[in-house]
Amino acid sequence: MEITFAVLLWGVRIAFLFLLYLFLIRAFGALTRSMRTESAAERSLGTLIVERSPARTPRVGERLALRASNTMGRDAGNDIPLPDEAASARHAKLEVRDGEWWIEDLGSTNGTLVNGVRIERPERVRNGDEIAIGRVALRLER
Amino acid sequence: MTVLLRRGDELRLLVWVTLIAITGSVAVAATEAAGFAYSQLAIPVAFICVAVLLHVFLATRGIRGDQLLLPMAAVLTAIGLVLVQRLASSLLLQQLTWTLIAAGAFVGTILIPKDLTTLARFKWTWALLGVALLISPLLPVIGKTVNGARIWVGVGPANFEPWEAVKIMMVIFFAAYLEEYREVIARPRRIGPIPIPPAPYLLPIIVMWAIAMVVVIFERDLGASLLFLGIFLALLYLATGEAFYTLIGAVLVVVGGFVLYHTFGHVQVRVDTWLRPFAEDLRFDAGYQIVQGLFALGNGGLFGAGLGNGMPDRIPVVWSDFVFNAFAEETGFAGAIALLALYLLFVYRGMLIAVRAPTPFLQLLAGGLSFIVAFQTLVIVGGNARLIPLTGVTLPFVAYGGSSLVTNWMLVALLIRVSDITARTRGTP
Repeated sequence: MEITFAVLLWGVRIAFLFLLYLFLIRAFGALTRSMRTESAAERSLGTLIVERSPARTPRVGERLALRASNTMGRDAGNDIPLPDEAASARHAKLEVRDGEWWIEDLGSTNGTLVNGVRIERPERVRNGDEIAIGRVALRLER
Repeated sequence: MTVLLRRGDELRLLVWVTLIAITGSVAVAATEAAGFAYSQLAIPVAFICVAVLLHVFLATRGIRGDQLLLPMAAVLTAIGLVLVQRLASSLLLQQLTWTLIAAGAFVGTILIPKDLTTLARFKWTWALLGVALLISPLLPVIGKTVNGARIWVGVGPANFEPWEAVKIMMVIFFAAYLEEYREVIARPRRIGPIPIPPAPYLLPIIVMWAIAMVVVIFERDLGASLLFLGIFLALLYLATGEAFYTLIGAVLVVVGGFVLYHTFGHVQVRVDTWLRPFAEDLRFDAGYQIVQGLFALGNGGLFGAGLGNGMPDRIPVVWSDFVFNAFAEETGFAGAIALLALYLLFVYRGMLIAVRAPTPFLQLLAGGLSFIVAFQTLVIVGGNARLIPLTGVTLPFVAYGGSSLVTNWMLVALLIRVSDITARTRGTP
């Protein structure tokens, strides 16, 4: 009886260590899995392709990498500066909300157009849509 | 039902946490009583229920992103409970109560700040509150001195270390401040290779740090001042990428250490017991704790004496200062490495959350919080193993102590919030 108890006790002690390592392995597996999905998402956050631009910057055909939230306008302090006289200093904001891109006009003089239609309130932007700010046109690509 | 499946990895990992908590508790109980009663299982089962409820809470709230931190924090807390049961069983119920409070603080931190960016807006409030809390143990009625360090505040029956909460406030303040002025601070004028930081912008940070240092010297808490300097330099480096600032910090540590050594008796004792704990005049006196700690480490060997089977009780105050040695004695090198690997994984996960976060404030916040866990582990385990002088910081989640447990669970909640925001902006699950 006493010997069975001692054997059982050592079994539990070894099991504790064993389980600790099993947990580590499982946790590491979960980490690598989530890293894979996260880095895939990182690559595809989105880009804007410059379709039309009267000034030297940005060049036509240039690909602008997007962050989660991007302000656009004539001011150099914007995330995406657009040095065009027809653009307002702080013109519009393009940002991700719940995995979708949304554009909002920040009270600009000449307005923001999505596929040629002037927006009144924050508007969802889909893949391939054209955004026009002043005389600059940009196409969203995920 | 589908709501619950969204955090599947987290739930699966919690199954393993359950098994670890139960085997650990059974091993300790069976060794002590040379027999086993089912009532012994009440504590680990209660803890697991809390952890699963937290998981369900996160799932029903629709929190996205990280699924690793909750089980990691849970397994470390479970190990902590097993060790309190082993080393100071009279404190076990108290520690379980603190765990419940910590779970409440976790839920509160997930629920209350609607938008984490609002934390940054109140940065001066955090700074003032932090300084007030830091000074509070020096006040006459509520302040308490324990083991020569005046770092406790007692209100009624509850005692807590305000310093524990202050470190999170410091990270929020530094992160918010550095986000606002990082452009200026990151591009200093240079004289040769030496960057001259623009003083007016750095001044508030240095003042904060100086206040903290002075207070900490008067409260005689070495670990806290080291951690403080660490947070300060880590965030400065994360925000600016300027290695020279860290170099200045290293010089500050050396100079400060030298001055402290020659002016304060308690610093001198710490250094002496580190350098020569076995000396004739120290080994049964100031060096007794570290000497017994080293014997425990050595006694552990490769696979340990078996949970409950060692003699870690010989180390004075083992449950709060030397839990690492107790764990290493009873589970051996294998267990000690597993424990350190858990911290490594935790910190790695936290830093990944920091790298991916969408705004500089959230990046600095997550980076600073992960740094706290990394640095605290390094400083206390290093002290326990006699690699550096011993300081009184706690081993995160594992060491006995309520204030530390509560703040660490709030820290986890903040990291999960940052990860949730990142997942939402990037559109990942």
